Amino acid sequence: MSLFGWCQWLEHSTLALAISESTWLFPLIEGSHILALPLSVGMIVILDLRLLGLAFRDDPASRVMHEALRWSKIGFAVMFVTGALLFMTQAGKAYGNAFFRAKLMFLLMLGINAVVYQAIFYPKMAQWDAAGRPPVGARLCAGLSLIVWIGVIVCGRTMAYQF
Amino acid sequence: MMSLFDALVHWSSTSAPIVFVRDSRYGMPAVQSVHLVGITVFLAAILLLDLRLAGVGMTDWSLPWLERQLKPWAIGAATLVILSGILIFLGTPSKYLASNPFRFKMAVLCLAILFHFGVLRRFATSEAGSRPRRGDVVVAGISLTLWFLVGWAGRAIAFVP
Repeated sequence: MSLFGWCQWLEHSTLALAISESTWLFPLIEGSHILALPLSVGMIVILDLRLLGLAFRDDPASRVMHEALRWSKIGFAVMFVTGALLFMTQAGKAYGNAFFRAKLMFLLMLGINAVVYQAIFYPKMAQWDAAGRPPVGARLCAGLSLIVWIGVIVCGRTMAYQF
Repeated sequence: MMSLFDALVHWSSTSAPIVFVRDSRYGMPAVQSVHLVGITVFLAAILLLDLRLAGVGMTDWSLPWLERQLKPWAIGAATLVILSGILIFLGTPSKYLASNPFRFKMAVLCLAILFHFGVLRRFATSEAGSRPRRGDVVVAGISLTLWFLVGWAGRAIAFVP
């Protein structure tokens, strides 16, 4: 089965049809997806601003990281479940949509970016933890994260106009 | 008073920039995206402050310190949300004025703002340990409920007449 064929099958599955045919289920899932933004992406923005040296400067970066990531895990769990359900109901349309494809590419980039940060900068964090302005590499990771997360929100919001 | 408001809305909603945003292919999605990015940052600040006030998280940080750190970002984000919100509203004012969720949203927004400046700020600018915790939890809960209700009401505009 092709990927597109799979998307069409998914869209016509019992669960997907139940969600799209229900008057309140789709709005509830979509609303949860959007209102989980502050708890997921919002917390990452706070961390990025600290790593860029723009906010929370007089507190160790590791502490801001610990707090932000703790809450964002809950937010991203909601995001992933609701996002998967939303995708199911419109998988066929989403497959060919440029903004949906861009959103997935951005999410992949953010995953790679996070792995790079964890592998290269996180182990040496103790050396510059208290510094208001972290080293240039860490700031680059944070800046990239900030811009690409905004791209994810823009793509997610815009694709809804095309369905 | 009401007719002046109507005239102002009509005058601005038929102006060239508003018509351009409304009718161009990516005008509205772009403005809606700005609205959503602003909401993400603004509500993240509210969340952090309320979670700290309730003593649920961030307990290494003092409450007034956290409030000071978040303030410039919350003000910046709120500015984005308000400006983009006005642009969205002026695109089709008649649609929003007739929408029940929109009216509810504006009413709860007023309550949230009043509660924020009337009650929450007094709690957030003084040390959390200086008073019984139960009050802090109630104030944080009301604040979170009001602000997220504004968000849900906004989402409902797309689904409920």
